[in-house]
Amino acid sequence: MNDLLIAGGIGVAFGWALECAGLGHPPKLAGQFYLRDFTVLKVMLSAMLTAMLGVFWGGRLGLLDRGALYVPETYLLPQLVGGLVFGLGFVLSGLCPGTSCVALASGRIEGAATMLGLFAGVLLVGLAFPAIEAFYRSTPHGPLTLQRLTGLPYGVVVALVTVLAVSMLAWIAKWEARR
Amino acid sequence: MKFVRQLGISALALGLGAPFAGSLQRTQQRGLDLDSIARAINEGSDHVSARQLARWIRDRRSGLRVIDVRSPAEFHDYAIPTAENVPIDQLAKAHFAPDQTIVLYSQEGAHAGQAWVILRSLGVTQAVFVPGGLADWREEVLNPRLPANASPAERAQIEDLSHYFGGTPRIGGEQGGDVASAAQIGRGSRRRGC
Repeated sequence: MNDLLIAGGIGVAFGWALECAGLGHPPKLAGQFYLRDFTVLKVMLSAMLTAMLGVFWGGRLGLLDRGALYVPETYLLPQLVGGLVFGLGFVLSGLCPGTSCVALASGRIEGAATMLGLFAGVLLVGLAFPAIEAFYRSTPHGPLTLQRLTGLPYGVVVALVTVLAVSMLAWIAKWEARR
Repeated sequence: MKFVRQLGISALALGLGAPFAGSLQRTQQRGLDLDSIARAINEGSDHVSARQLARWIRDRRSGLRVIDVRSPAEFHDYAIPTAENVPIDQLAKAHFAPDQTIVLYSQEGAHAGQAWVILRSLGVTQAVFVPGGLADWREEVLNPRLPANASPAERAQIEDLSHYFGGTPRIGGEQGGDVASAAQIGRGSRRRGC
């Protein structure tokens, strides 16, 4: 029960942060795909950077049990197809699952429509699962991580991702200042 | 803007400091770590008794995965309840989450021990095996011999566990009929998903 309360609190904080960043506004999200607005990329990069550094240093300092974290398994081909379907829905509606909740909470009808589509999609996939199960479980790679893929030590992967993310954020800031 | 820049510099400092902080828990990495294997064998943390496994299954231990490494035909003939069949030649293709406890067993235990080494070489460190395999399962769980000098509580525990899996404990010394019934259970009966 305590975990559920904590998860609920984190969810509310996440939604609040998304709304503050303006990500409940579909044209802003769709703008990413047309390279007009880089808010989505900035939010995602900074969120991933914060989470990665938090998990690494939290584990290193004994504040977090990394063994308790679950790394989802990679099924390359089905997840690639799923990503494309997800991207198509994202650019069409201008919202993703998290931001559709935020849009709905802000009273936007697009949010309700996207969530309806989301649940319809979940239902359809559930009904069709026996037929697509073989594809769903194809090309398995287990819990694939960058360090397992590259063979590099965990800390080096963290450093490389940090340099990449900070460089991209700096480049976006410069690009926005020039406009 | 100044605050954002400070955040960026802080992130960069934390990120660039990461390689020098050492790795607390490296993720699953392939290759045999002979020292840790030898240590696990010495400490006995490489195996679990059939009776302990039975308790884990009965108590629905969180994250438990019981893997039968025998052939599908043998698995179909009889398997430990809740077990899944991953033949030893398919083991390298299987995937195990870090939070799972993997228990391997085979007919007599030798193949399970070899499977344990295979998993260690794949970086799966949370695996154990049943040394005597199905033979131990029959001897310790399905048809355990109740010691004549055991206390009533001990006997009740052994009996309960055996009955839970559809077995029949034996009392005292060797009893040919019971051994025969154990073999029969091994071949014929299947009580899955208790």
